[in-house]
Amino acid sequence: MANLNIDSIKNRNFDAIVIGSGMSGGWSAKELTEKGLKTLVLERGRDVKHIKDYPTTNLYPWEFEHHGVLPQSVQEANPIVNRCYAFHEDAAHFFVKDHEHPYIQDKPFDWIRGYQVGGKSLLWARQTQRWSDFDFEGPARDGFAVDWPIRYKDLAPWYSYVEKFAGISGNKDGLAELPDGEFLPAFPLNDVEDYFSRHVKSQYKNRHVISARCAHLSKPNPIHLEQGRGQCQNRNLCQRGCPFGGYFSANSSTLPWAEKTGNLTLRPFSVVESILYDDQKGKAVGVRVVDSQTKETIEYFAKVIFVNAAAVNTNLILLNSKSKRFPNGFGNDSGVLGKYFAFHNYSAHISAEYDGFPDFTTDGRNPAGGGYIPRFRNVFHQEMDFLRGYASGFSAYRSVDHDYQGVGASLKQNLAKGKWGPWKVGSHMMGETIPKETNFLSLDPNQKDAWGVPLIKISVDYDNNDDLMKKDYLEQLSEMFTTAGFTNIQTSSNHQAPGLDIHEMGGARMGNDPKTSILNKWNQVHSAKNVFVTDGACMTSVSCQNPSLTFMAITARAADYAVSELKKGNI
Amino acid sequence: MNRRSLIKNLVWLIGASAFAPSCLNSSNQKTIGLKNIALETDDQILISEICETLIPKTDTPGAKDLNLPEFVLKMLDETLPKSDQKNIILGLKDFKAFVLKKSGKSYTDLEPKEKEAILLELETKRNKPAAAEKPIPESPLSLFYSAIKSQTLFAYTTSQYFMTKVNIYELVPGRYKVHFPIKNLKTV
Repeated sequence: MANLNIDSIKNRNFDAIVIGSGMSGGWSAKELTEKGLKTLVLERGRDVKHIKDYPTTNLYPWEFEHHGVLPQSVQEANPIVNRCYAFHEDAAHFFVKDHEHPYIQDKPFDWIRGYQVGGKSLLWARQTQRWSDFDFEGPARDGFAVDWPIRYKDLAPWYSYVEKFAGISGNKDGLAELPDGEFLPAFPLNDVEDYFSRHVKSQYKNRHVISARCAHLSKPNPIHLEQGRGQCQNRNLCQRGCPFGGYFSANSSTLPWAEKTGNLTLRPFSVVESILYDDQKGKAVGVRVVDSQTKETIEYFAKVIFVNAAAVNTNLILLNSKSKRFPNGFGNDSGVLGKYFAFHNYSAHISAEYDGFPDFTTDGRNPAGGGYIPRFRNVFHQEMDFLRGYASGFSAYRSVDHDYQGVGASLKQNLAKGKWGPWKVGSHMMGETIPKETNFLSLDPNQKDAWGVPLIKISVDYDNNDDLMKKDYLEQLSEMFTTAGFTNIQTSSNHQAPGLDIHEMGGARMGNDPKTSILNKWNQVHSAKNVFVTDGACMTSVSCQNPSLTFMAITARAADYAVSELKKGNI
Repeated sequence: MNRRSLIKNLVWLIGASAFAPSCLNSSNQKTIGLKNIALETDDQILISEICETLIPKTDTPGAKDLNLPEFVLKMLDETLPKSDQKNIILGLKDFKAFVLKKSGKSYTDLEPKEKEAILLELETKRNKPAAAEKPIPESPLSLFYSAIKSQTLFAYTTSQYFMTKVNIYELVPGRYKVHFPIKNLKTV
């Protein structure tokens, strides 16, 4: 990779700049460099090279200082990130610590971040489902937000394009509400998951329990081997970074691919302060960066800019990019920038036991996590007293009971040998939330971070629709569990703050009308056509699928369009 | 505890390890440097003895063979909230008093069978309040014992010995099989 000589303005000129190196930034980098553009990728955190920078990846549990448990001092110093399910001794080094990057919670919001090359693509839960037109048509049909300027047919070829490269395992389930993709073999449902799937199918006409589709190489194709990736080895230690490249991350896939083109310049430790707009030229000309280590301010220039800083930070950069033309933030003629922010409601769970299949268990580990229940509420028409719906995870495992009573030799024996317990089943809710003007991000007028960038203020909350939907989820799953013969059913509803779902989206939404949206159908800023936003910030609505796959497809599509527009001289 | 029994127990604590001579020569006995919880040498030895009673050396290694006491002390020191640590200190005092009242001796001077009996009595006592109608707040003594026990069990079941010789942990399973007969598994 090029070593930067920042003294020369020539060395600060590129064809394209990509802000961010994670899930969507990695795709921008791959697509733009492959199409011949000299591309600068700016990452605010440190570099993380595939395999080389996964220090914990091959450690056994006993090789960790506290066998995986984080010290109390770390937990107490990080109340926010400590609430994340993956923040443990094996992966804590990939998470932003609370004090390092403060933000303002106008309302409670657990903002989970990964500031390093690869971003959160190292840490994601790897669930990948396509959207359908039942999702894209949601806002128009149900009268919220604004109409999506794209439909499934616009994105379908790009879903295929990114799926083939990333490697997605799944079954062709033939469901209109969850379109099939380009799949590697699925990870199978186990006995109880399969039993529940058959039960649900027999009881409900439009409810399905399918193998979760996930970004794991169950059986790699030549394109994956060419990336230097190999078959998933079922370790389920993905959050440490995978030495096999068994799951998709920017580090293992898109970034090394971009590097091989010779067109990539990656600059870690680069905090983007703002996008530079030239009033004379009537377009963006570059970005202003603060070196996170030296605090030096440097400007980089390019013909086209992709903003992939992750939803909240993309909004922050746009809001902070003020000029004579854009006094209220970049491309913000409409005044909607930062608004209509949304997330996924993950605040309900249900668990139970099942006495069937007493002679069977599973062997090895399932990286897909088990089953997935696509949204079945309000899909084909509005039928409930709430808008939209929820997808649900569903998984089962065979429990083992240990007798921990007593002391001495008998205790030792009991620890060595457990007794088979019942199968345990569980589900979690993944609910769509409705983007609203009152759920928004803004810049704090006074407080700045260590690099002189204003702190972001997050004002996002649940609403009554979320409560009604949660009630329905718990009722419906309880009913499905009960009729399946599951016992000891326990529902739980926590009050986790928005953000902990790590599916924050919106703020710079796509739309047909520049008066009510920031981006057009190609993810171009309506009023500055050489700036593209293709991360979560672009989302007009959020549906209930895990969003990364959609970000990838949107990014590849936008990059293709950007290069063709560049060639035509339109931008 | 007199000095003679202290040294005797210290040798017991560290076994025949290479550290023994230097420790024996020192008036500051071998202690684990703790940052957050004040446990003197004899307290550390006592906890080590409890660990060994819980997971004794049999035909397989015991707590001391596996250096579990050091890990337990480290976990008590570094992974517990302050309030738990306070209770452990209080409970430790109560534990010593309880043992003295029961046996007229200090725990470290008891025979292994007597040690087991003491811990079992605490454990039975602890199980009773749970059956009562109103949950009784756990005493520091009970909290002390359950903290030592749970940390010892965690230390043992996540030790290299346990995970390589007893219940084998696979870093790279390379498979996921469903509908797998339980009779085909060697260990449960």
